[in-house]
Amino acid sequence: MKLAGNDILIQSLINEDVEYIFGYPGGAALHIYDAIFKQNKMEHILVRHEQGATHAADGYARATGKPGVVLVTSGPGATNAITGIATAFMDSIPMVVISGQVAKHLIGTDAFQETDMIGISRPIVKHSFTVESAENIPEIVKQAFYIATSGRPGPVVIDVPKDTTAPDKLFEFNYPNKVNIRSYSPPIDPEKNQIERAVEAIISSEKPVIYAGGGAINSNASSELIKLNEILDFPVTNTLMGLGVYPATDPRFLGMLGMHGTYQANMAMHNADLIIAIGARFDDRITNTPKLFAPNAKIIHFDVDHSSVSKIIEANIAVFGQVKNSLNEIIKLCELKKEMINTKKISSWKNQIEEWKKSHGLNHDMYLENSDDSTIMPQAVVQHVYNITKGKAFVTSDVGQHQMFAAQYYHFDEPRKWINSGGLGTMGFGLPSAMGVKLAFPNDEVVCITGEGSIQMCIQELSTCTQYNLPIKIININNEALGMVKQWQDMNYGGRHSESTYQSSLPNFIELVESYGHVGIKIEKNSDLKSQLERAFSLKDKLVFVDVYVDPDEHVYPMLVAPNGSLKDMWLDKETKT
Amino acid sequence: MIQRKVSIILENKPGALVRVVGLFHQRGYNIESLHVDPVNDLTEYKYVEKNLNIKLKKGEVSHLIISTTVNDNLLRQILRQINKLIDVLIAEEVK
Repeated sequence: MKLAGNDILIQSLINEDVEYIFGYPGGAALHIYDAIFKQNKMEHILVRHEQGATHAADGYARATGKPGVVLVTSGPGATNAITGIATAFMDSIPMVVISGQVAKHLIGTDAFQETDMIGISRPIVKHSFTVESAENIPEIVKQAFYIATSGRPGPVVIDVPKDTTAPDKLFEFNYPNKVNIRSYSPPIDPEKNQIERAVEAIISSEKPVIYAGGGAINSNASSELIKLNEILDFPVTNTLMGLGVYPATDPRFLGMLGMHGTYQANMAMHNADLIIAIGARFDDRITNTPKLFAPNAKIIHFDVDHSSVSKIIEANIAVFGQVKNSLNEIIKLCELKKEMINTKKISSWKNQIEEWKKSHGLNHDMYLENSDDSTIMPQAVVQHVYNITKGKAFVTSDVGQHQMFAAQYYHFDEPRKWINSGGLGTMGFGLPSAMGVKLAFPNDEVVCITGEGSIQMCIQELSTCTQYNLPIKIININNEALGMVKQWQDMNYGGRHSESTYQSSLPNFIELVESYGHVGIKIEKNSDLKSQLERAFSLKDKLVFVDVYVDPDEHVYPMLVAPNGSLKDMWLDKETKT
Repeated sequence: MIQRKVSIILENKPGALVRVVGLFHQRGYNIESLHVDPVNDLTEYKYVEKNLNIKLKKGEVSHLIISTTVNDNLLRQILRQINKLIDVLIAEEVK
């Protein structure tokens, strides 16, 4: 079959089973857009800003496990996509971004809408390609999808000069069914002796903790993790990126750890004699001061990425391989040796953790407060949303206090349900990522928990939701300030709120969303909170924007004491430090 | 800390070198010297073919040598980061 470059590109994507492509047209991408027009196997979602396209593709990828696909034009189209690519890179999300480029003979001439996309994106991609000729497109697309989804996943950019997609030059189209990159072979199966060493450490431990992160979700290893812990019966904590990989309602779950982790999770990590890290990378929000991190713990680190192991915290035992495969191996060996686990000692360790939880655990009953004598607490909003959606919703979030409240109080029992920008911390992520999730799962409840600061960073996507009829529920936890910035200013800058409030300049969100054809609900009183949230979720076919005015002075706790603190050093409320 | 030499075999194609060089800056390591040549005489590169189970052709890969002053841990981290680059076949310390 002979095809032109633009059709070859689109056919290649169809061969990769791409169902949605998120993008925005422009000069250098117009040949490609013409090829999109001529087919009906793949739906293009027209966003309102390229950042929205990358976040939507990212949300789709996080929820489905399949790569998100983005198409943008050259110059500003490409640069607008950068924040979303960096977001996906930091959280290891598979994504393929196709950027138009000026024709080859114009490259380097400062042509209209020319920018060095390969150069600009280099530090934030797993790999990138420039198309030299239409003939190379199938192989490049095949390699791009393979690289994006294998090993430690990540975004891949394909820069496509306009002349390589010209409709008047035909080439033979054969899509490769195999891919071989001689310089790239991510580890798959673990080494047997590392598994044996890991099991030895497990059976000699008295104070173990399992610490699982986003890598376990990327490897689809949730059921293996659950199975392993049916044998081990150890306490489990998840990172912000790992929430849902171990069921939050399991009694062995300690909650999230780290900067705003629970008291019991942070104390358990600090006092552990064995930390089993599974697809987690000892990020600075987890370790606090690395030198003071878990002083008595032996570390077993399961990861697919060599460069993530012993980067921050030295691992005593490193198990390289797909986390899913490694867990399957260790399950077999633990099954044989489970009698040797020190259940007696571990039982008193668990009692200790239970005491920590009782003394300073989170209050999950704040939703019971319905008196108008007090302001609405943001935590209670999340608790109501959890109750109304029965814990089954996909929840996306933006970045700040509302994100931490969502992570602390929505109990995720399944992986891929909690969609947030953990590594880069990108405000504006919540709404467009929710669009990607809703397209992938149109029959599921998709909630975007956001704040009045974050939502305004990609609020133009309300229009995209109208065009494609995406009935997302947006919960705007409105404290009329950049809450997390303000919290830091309260705690570290003598309460000087430098540029963290808006001086009464916020829009009327209700009228704003109504102008897009959506429904807006404003909640200002505790006594209305439950019933109005229920009303929002009862409007199944509408995008509902719930603007909830909450206590503007509330802080997120616990909070690690930094700098120079360890995991046991926490602020528990505005006055109390551990 | 002493100066270490890192030997890198990478695909001889546009953009491959800058990924390695960029990585040094991005991760906060300093390049003290840098030398790169296409590999035309394959006799000393049999180990690459053996390690990766591939056959090399003349001029197909480049040999890059970078000097940098780092401790053991950082050197290990640098090598792992470089080896992760898709266009890099092998990165190791020159002893």
